[in-house]
Amino acid sequence: MIKIKKLSKFYGKKQVLNAIDLEFRKGKVYGIVGENGAGKTTLFRCISGLENYKGSISSDFQNLKDHLGLLQTEPFFFSKITGKEYIQLLANSRQIKLSNIEDKNIFDLPLKQYASTYSTGMKKKLALTAILLQENDIFILDEPFNGVDIQSNLIITEIIKRFKELEKTLIISSHIFSTLADTCDEIYLMKNGEIIKKVKQIDFNRLESEMKEFTIGNRIEKLELK
Amino acid sequence: MIDFGLPLLIGYTLFPFAFIIFSNYLFEKTEFANYIFLLIALSFISKFSEPKRNNFLKSIFNKKKYKNLRIVENIIYCIPFTLFLVYKKQFVFSLILNLLIIVFTLLNFSSNINVTIPTPFSKKPFEFTVGFRKTFYVFPIAYFLTYISVSVENLNLGIFSMLLVGMACFSYYSKIENEYFVWNYNLSSKEFLIEKTKTCLIFFSLLSLPIIITLTICFFGEIDILIIFFLLCYAYLTAIVFAKYSSFPNEMNMSQGILIATSFIFPPILFIFIPLFYSQSIKKLNTVLND
Repeated sequence: MIKIKKLSKFYGKKQVLNAIDLEFRKGKVYGIVGENGAGKTTLFRCISGLENYKGSISSDFQNLKDHLGLLQTEPFFFSKITGKEYIQLLANSRQIKLSNIEDKNIFDLPLKQYASTYSTGMKKKLALTAILLQENDIFILDEPFNGVDIQSNLIITEIIKRFKELEKTLIISSHIFSTLADTCDEIYLMKNGEIIKKVKQIDFNRLESEMKEFTIGNRIEKLELK
Repeated sequence: MIDFGLPLLIGYTLFPFAFIIFSNYLFEKTEFANYIFLLIALSFISKFSEPKRNNFLKSIFNKKKYKNLRIVENIIYCIPFTLFLVYKKQFVFSLILNLLIIVFTLLNFSSNINVTIPTPFSKKPFEFTVGFRKTFYVFPIAYFLTYISVSVENLNLGIFSMLLVGMACFSYYSKIENEYFVWNYNLSSKEFLIEKTKTCLIFFSLLSLPIIITLTICFFGEIDILIIFFLLCYAYLTAIVFAKYSSFPNEMNMSQGILIATSFIFPPILFIFIPLFYSQSIKKLNTVLND
């Protein structure tokens, strides 16, 4: 379990996260939605320990980050490292011994090629494969469906469901509401660094229509499309 | 320049002086300076021939504007080279350079070769994997120099070949990695630094092993000199590994660069710098690794 209390984050004078209280339980999938700049990625970086913050983040583990798999929005790749070496690198950093990496290549990636030459979607899939093989207990997936083809989308959705059965905790952000509705137990709506709504599965449809109404409003009319 | 911790204004002021000093030195030292100068200029503008970049420009501008833009940017980039050639009264080369500039605007090619070069270091963290692929040609040269040093009985050349391997390995640690790749480790800062240093020294030893064995056999009487230089390589490599993380997650700054440069002039100062860089690195790494 991860408990977040009164989490605030400032970049200079600008407040990016404002007194956030959250709880992520074992075996549950949580979705975080919000427009660009709402503070989702900063929240993830704070949980991961990549940012300092005010407030507290506690968990069942002595060092939360050692049990955490983090998929970044835009994963970074070295210029001359193959897909296979990237997976190996991330496994080595957690002292995991991997064998037959090719057999675990569920997204059929060209593992012998330099990862930096991959397309956006392929990079995302490689980064995801690497953290899946790290044997983590908690996963933070920042936009896992971004740039990914429909087949891989289905695979990722299925992986999330399997992890839930394995009692792992998953925190996912996505702009594609339907993928979150398919997998999450709870969805939190973020705006201007605050959690403005916590919605359980039963109310997902209502949240989606509220979001549509709120986001679209009468913006399109302003274009006076002809 | 900002990346190297050099203020932009100072960088732009120093650049023309550095260019003139380097160019003069080149023309003093070799009769082939004209050709080398041409190659350097063309390698600069070859960056503008990247297909990705030019496809983007083509999508914005029409054919005529695109051509003009490419010619103008290439000419501007080569102005210092053209002026220096004119100053050296190398009018023919100056003319050839400008003709080649125009030819280059017609070409689109990528300077990156994406063939996967095999490396024996892929099982361990990335520095040697990436570095070896970028500098693989250095090692045959170093081994060849060792062979020459033995055949002409010149230990200095042999030591130089070992230093060449050391310098290549040194360069692998000059750039800091994305913080994510440090954060991923479930080690303490101390364990992390020890692991990095251990890997660096073992791989350097492996790469320089053919040189060391050869020189030990052929110059056994001077093994003490060989050991001193080998240990010196170890010391510099340890220093650069620690220095790399002493500004984490940022790149090494100007002052750290100056300290490293100072150690090249006066190596004993490494006894002060190594512990200094180590303690700075531990402090910085503690922000993302376990205490």
